[in-house]
Amino acid sequence: MSHSAADPTMHPEVQLSTSKGYFLGFAISAFLMLVATFLVTSHSVPPFGLLMVISVCAGIAVIAQIYFLLHIDISEHNIWNTVALVMFIPLFLITIGLTWWMFSQLYLRTMDMSVMSSAMQPAVHASATPGMADMPGMNAHTDSGN
Amino acid sequence: MLVDLPGGWSPLLGRLAWSQIPYANPILAPLFVAVVIGAIIILGLITYYGKWTYLWKEWLTTVDHKKLGVMYIIIGLVMLFRGFIDGLMIRTQQVWAVGPHSSGVFGSLHGYLTPFHFGQVYSAHGLIMILLAATPLLVGFMNIIVPIQVGARDMAYPYLNALGLWITAAAAALIMISLFVGDFAHNGWFEYAPIFEMQYSPGVGVDYWMWTLQLLALGTTLGGINILATIIKMRAPGMTWGKLPIFVWASLASNVIALTSFPALQVALALVAADRYLGAHFFTAGMGGNLMLYTNLFWIWGHPEVYFVILPAFGMMSEIFPTFSEKPLFGYMTMVLASMAIAGVSWLVWLHHFFTMGAGPYVNTAFSVATMLVGIPTGVKVFNWAFTMYRGRLTFNAAMLWAIGALFLLLVGGLTGMMLAIPAINYMVHNSVFVVAHFHSMLLVIVYAVFGSVLYWFPKVFGFKLDEFWAKTMFWLFSAGTVLVFVPMYMLGFMGMTRRLEYVFNTAWQPYLDVMELGIVVYTLSVLAFIVLLYVSVRDHAKNRVGADAWGTSRSLEWLTHSPVPFYNFAVLPHVNERDELAWRREHGIDHVRPEHYDDIHMPNNTGVAIIIGALTFVLGFALTWRIWWLCIVALLAIIVLMIIRSFRGDPGYIITGAELQRMEEEAYRREAQIADSHHIHPVSGGVVGNAMAYQRNDSSK
Repeated sequence: MSHSAADPTMHPEVQLSTSKGYFLGFAISAFLMLVATFLVTSHSVPPFGLLMVISVCAGIAVIAQIYFLLHIDISEHNIWNTVALVMFIPLFLITIGLTWWMFSQLYLRTMDMSVMSSAMQPAVHASATPGMADMPGMNAHTDSGN
Repeated sequence: MLVDLPGGWSPLLGRLAWSQIPYANPILAPLFVAVVIGAIIILGLITYYGKWTYLWKEWLTTVDHKKLGVMYIIIGLVMLFRGFIDGLMIRTQQVWAVGPHSSGVFGSLHGYLTPFHFGQVYSAHGLIMILLAATPLLVGFMNIIVPIQVGARDMAYPYLNALGLWITAAAAALIMISLFVGDFAHNGWFEYAPIFEMQYSPGVGVDYWMWTLQLLALGTTLGGINILATIIKMRAPGMTWGKLPIFVWASLASNVIALTSFPALQVALALVAADRYLGAHFFTAGMGGNLMLYTNLFWIWGHPEVYFVILPAFGMMSEIFPTFSEKPLFGYMTMVLASMAIAGVSWLVWLHHFFTMGAGPYVNTAFSVATMLVGIPTGVKVFNWAFTMYRGRLTFNAAMLWAIGALFLLLVGGLTGMMLAIPAINYMVHNSVFVVAHFHSMLLVIVYAVFGSVLYWFPKVFGFKLDEFWAKTMFWLFSAGTVLVFVPMYMLGFMGMTRRLEYVFNTAWQPYLDVMELGIVVYTLSVLAFIVLLYVSVRDHAKNRVGADAWGTSRSLEWLTHSPVPFYNFAVLPHVNERDELAWRREHGIDHVRPEHYDDIHMPNNTGVAIIIGALTFVLGFALTWRIWWLCIVALLAIIVLMIIRSFRGDPGYIITGAELQRMEEEAYRREAQIADSHHIHPVSGGVVGNAMAYQRNDSSK
């Protein structure tokens, strides 16, 4: 137990953080979420385009949060953040990648694609749900149908 | 309301009503009376002996990692008992309700449990055993042992440690109260989509399950962060990564898994909550939902979780074998690499829980191969333990027997696991009791390692050994129960008996079920032996007292300080020279040195905030389950306000002066001198034996 650790305000993470950075991160994420919510509720974009736009919004929000709120960068004094990031990236690829792979293989065997694309039609103008278009593996088959 | 709530809702009480109390249930009502009487007696005794102040000051508000660990273990043992009673109920129902001519009582056509009640019993059994028994027991041991083994005075975040414990306690309380208020989930411990959706499970059972699990995930993640930070930042001077005790390595690997996998569970549960509370469709069969995504998300957490609980057990075995073989652990570096490899591969195998989903040959083959890869590091560990014992000076005391038992069960569970890793076999035995027998073998490895560790580290924490005779009696009864229950279960699995049957249709299975019932009776005897063990040991504690090195052949750093460990762990932080520091010191004749000079040390203060936040999380979970919205808001706001107040106030800690420390140490040495096995103790300053150091050299004393 070293005495320098007793004062948490002296830690580099705390020293680096500013209230301006936190507000900026919060404002950017809130704005992007509002944009996404508006696009989804107003149905102003066709389903596949909607998927793309809200994915981009989500991506930017993630980056903003990582940078402004979590202060993850690759500098020397944030070495443990970098370690966490190095661990996170392969895990992220594994979970998303393998999930995408197993479900695309599953759909090849269990889903009748002609039924699927006709089932898409009511979802486009009748309900707020984005339908099957947000499923992994479905995009290639459904975007031509719409 | 965003979803339809059958059975009514009021703004004041939510879904709660008198009709939710099962006072007419012939099993639960007498139990409730017994629990209330028991609680009144315990509370009355505490009041009569005036122990409330002691309890509050020494235990409920403590931030001492050893006391928190002991409380974790007490929660784990109580829940292990509850889970065992559930197991006893399952076995009794299955041995009773065989064939169409079997009798039925208490409103059940066959046996004594209705299908709905039976479903709750096996769901609670699974959830409790894995997350409320195994996890707190292991977290408790990591809490107690890791800081002492790395030579620290407490965890990196003592307050967070207390918070993790009380959130875990809140989860335990939530699942216990589901016995008497409302129902518990009846769809299995990991639930299934879409049966947990509101339309198919309209009661509060799934909500109880969901919030219990959510709280546990939160508590365990907080604990994981703490243990990781402790291992990385709080190691004693001289303790490089290569000198880390093996249990610490296992804890490190295990908590890396906890930190990375529990968030996946929390996301899965949050999506279930969105479905059930907001009317979303993440896991429905239509409306854009996908029910297999739930199974996928759950096991993305679920399989790493399995290794999260097995790795500390491996670490415990790796500590027990060398001590009672009087040899260093064989293949330390391969052991470390194997732990890390298991942690890494744990992320690549989750699909083997649902091979039968039908993802096709490529996917199933890939996950099958990945699953079999786990056998390599595990095999390395088994051989390392065998070579540790090979030509060692073996002592077959109770702790060693439990460790050897764990090794045998690991072989049985591991080899059946290899069978299950083959998709073709998996399709045949999927959801049969063969799978149940397999994972019980694996979880019993943990139980064996935990009981071995209870015996092994008990003298370190409490200062006296447990009674050998009753410990061995318990071991043999427990092992006989294990054989009698699980060998017939493997056989029934091959005969095609599926899991979770509340009515067994095939009368040819009766003899096997009879043997299993006999086995559970033997298990019950072993539970009684455990109670006798505790009673006898506490009664005779004066003659079983031990010095710092309780076993005389211990190897790692925790045996260097007094038994019981003082609240500051080490008066002067030791300087670590070798991997097995105590064994090295014993060899060089410096295991009984003591510091010449004591400096002031800095310790954290107790806090009542952690237990209050824990209580509030229980209120929050209860209010969410019953949809009492005003109570949710009150509890949540109170938690946030308390967090903010605590964060701004912080904890300056307090100083124990060198003089005071010296007085306490003198007293501990005097106490130790009365025990036969302690020898001459002579004071040294920094350097002893050439350039090796016994203690951290303080700048002020240079």
